[in-house]
Amino acid sequence: MSVVTEVSQDGQKLTISVKGRFDFGRHQEFREAYERVDKKPGSIVVDLKDATYLDSSALGMLLLLRDHAGGDDSDVRVVNSNSDVRKILAISNFDKLFDIS
Amino acid sequence: MTDTHIDREALSVLREVMEEGYPELLDTFLADSEIRLAELQKTADTKALSEVAHSFKGSASNMGAVRLAELCRELESGAKDKSPEEIVKLVAEISVEFAEVRPVYENEKHHAHMH
Amino acid sequence: MQAQEPLTILIAEDSAADRLLLSTIVRRQGHEVLTATNGAEALEVFRRQAPHLVLMDAMMPVMDGFEAARQIKALAGETLVPIIFLTSLTESEALARCLEAGGDDFLAKPYNQVILAAKIKAMDRLRRLQATVLQQRDLIAKHHDYLLNEQRVAKAVFDKVAHSGCLSAPNIRYLQSPYALFNGDLLLAAYTPAGDMHVLLGDFTGHGLPAAVGAMPLAEVFYGMTAKGYGLAETLREMNAKLKRILPVDMFCCATMLCLSFQRRTVEVWNGGMPDGYLHRIATGERVPLPARHLPLGVLNPQAFDDRTEVQAMTVGDRVFLLSDGVIDTTDADDRLFGVERLQQLFAANHEPDNLFAEIAQALHAFRGEPRDDVSMVEVSLLEAAHVVPPAPVYSDSGQSSPLDWSVSFEFRGATLKRFNPLPYLLQLLLEVHGLRTQGGAIYSVLAELYSNALEHGVLGLDSSLKRDAAGFARYYEMRNERLEALQDGYVRVHLQIKPQGAGGCLVIRVEDSGKGFDVARVMERPLDGVRLSGRGVSLIRQLGHNASWSDEGRSACVEFFWEG
Repeated sequence: MSVVTEVSQDGQKLTISVKGRFDFGRHQEFREAYERVDKKPGSIVVDLKDATYLDSSALGMLLLLRDHAGGDDSDVRVVNSNSDVRKILAISNFDKLFDIS
Repeated sequence: MTDTHIDREALSVLREVMEEGYPELLDTFLADSEIRLAELQKTADTKALSEVAHSFKGSASNMGAVRLAELCRELESGAKDKSPEEIVKLVAEISVEFAEVRPVYENEKHHAHMH
Repeated sequence: MQAQEPLTILIAEDSAADRLLLSTIVRRQGHEVLTATNGAEALEVFRRQAPHLVLMDAMMPVMDGFEAARQIKALAGETLVPIIFLTSLTESEALARCLEAGGDDFLAKPYNQVILAAKIKAMDRLRRLQATVLQQRDLIAKHHDYLLNEQRVAKAVFDKVAHSGCLSAPNIRYLQSPYALFNGDLLLAAYTPAGDMHVLLGDFTGHGLPAAVGAMPLAEVFYGMTAKGYGLAETLREMNAKLKRILPVDMFCCATMLCLSFQRRTVEVWNGGMPDGYLHRIATGERVPLPARHLPLGVLNPQAFDDRTEVQAMTVGDRVFLLSDGVIDTTDADDRLFGVERLQQLFAANHEPDNLFAEIAQALHAFRGEPRDDVSMVEVSLLEAAHVVPPAPVYSDSGQSSPLDWSVSFEFRGATLKRFNPLPYLLQLLLEVHGLRTQGGAIYSVLAELYSNALEHGVLGLDSSLKRDAAGFARYYEMRNERLEALQDGYVRVHLQIKPQGAGGCLVIRVEDSGKGFDVARVMERPLDGVRLSGRGVSLIRQLGHNASWSDEGRSACVEFFWEG
């Protein structure tokens, strides 16, 4: 499985880990990761520790996630990006929308 | 005697498969075999011998005539290596074997009629 | 277990008894039987009756089984007609020869009907599988053809929409695949009424029709607003709002937009999500990167959109180079990226600026082997203003209702000055006067110059002498943004008056500001055609309009335009 979800004890934090290539092939899985949760979490963390590659469809998926989580009122963090992924996020200026570390 | 020459099991399967066609099959086999035997006795060409022996072997095995099939196999594979005398001897054996099993098949025809 | 569907099976066997036996067995299993006594006959029956499956004796007179099998396979073509060889050759011999001849399986004598039934079933499954594969392949091919045709139609429509641009202008060089649009790459260029040039290099997410469909509304906004004289910020705001409204959440358009002014010798840049562009200064060889400071278009809602641009000074011969990420992402046979380093190496190795573009195109080709569809590059050079000749705009009305005797006054105050650009509106108003249309470019340039002088030097109090070098230039625009953000008071007034004169008429433009004014006499002393970064506005106004004059200590400027009947 290249998309793994984990919900905190109190159901407030949802962590979605993406492994390998974060591209169009992950579309369905990624969507289900946040749509299939029973209780809407207060914050969402997208963990890219094992993600090797990110393309524009992945950026689109992040936008969908943010929109689903409340748009401007959402709390979505993107963590553990490697330098390649970081670069892509930097060029697209996605740090203006997401907390990236 | 018939047990080592003919596979009775095979005959009963044939009988069951062919049903009313059984007598026709027996007749066809016997007629074909006579023709082949005549060819074997007549020709000295090793290629022709081999081919006819091959054909004969095939139907013999289908009909359960195991020893006949085995003799034909010997002739098929040995035709080009054996001496003319050996070949004549083998063909004679085949002829004898056929004569042995022929009555069994004739008998089978009557059997079939009686069902 | 599913019942075996009845098949038509051809039995080719020269031994009569064996043929009879096998036919009976096969018929009992529910199939229709065709027979042949030799290879040639088998071929003939196959041609006429097209059986589903063939049981072939290997040794037959006239034509043996192997040859007949080869010919039957050839006749069958793509369709799978399984051939099961009947043989009493030894096992390994049999297998080898059967496979060589194109046989699919073999059955030993004496015939075992259970084994035969199993083999027929297995072969039939393969036969049906092959048939399904061919059917699906044909269906896919048909749909693919439809799709290609739809794209062709869409491209034709888009080409009509896009043709109003000026990509063929002498100062533009570009590389783009004819199918770039279907990879989301977009390249637009158009003249403003003042003779400036707007250029946009865009990259939509996605491929195919969804990307192309987003490009059309974007192009219409680009061309429409540029033609009316709207600046970069307003045009970008409108394009962003449009895309945000019409595109799904996960679709957006990375873009770099430029406004190149030949008169002011500047380039204004906005980069949202595209790779770095480069401003190449020919005199020093310096390459100034133009990185992405914004999110792509179509992501932020209008309230959050950031339209701040960067302005750089240019001299004649300088060029701006933009590229899409298809360039950086080009891979070679070993999946290595072309990358930014290689690009930088090409920059460093280049001696003749005019050849840079071709050198990059060549390097990409050598690296990759065959070109990618989404590699787009554009190089825009600054030419002498006199060498730039925008085409005359085309108007769609008849000319009967031209207003010839009127005047209007506007006063733009305080906070309005921050956000509102009145120039396109004023221009549209003036172009209602048909006699002025041939001078639209000059009028717009003069109006723009008067307005920006009034705003920047007058209301904001910026010193134009700051713009004497590149560093001062950057500082000037920084201060402009700061002061504009903080602006509370002040005004710019624009008066327009149209009066008939003989067969033609006269336009008087007066622009006033609330600033401190300037030393008119000193500025008027300067030679008319001096080429300087600063203070050039006054020259321009005096050159393009008539009877330019300044009063009220420089706070009020007046200029006239005339037309014949």
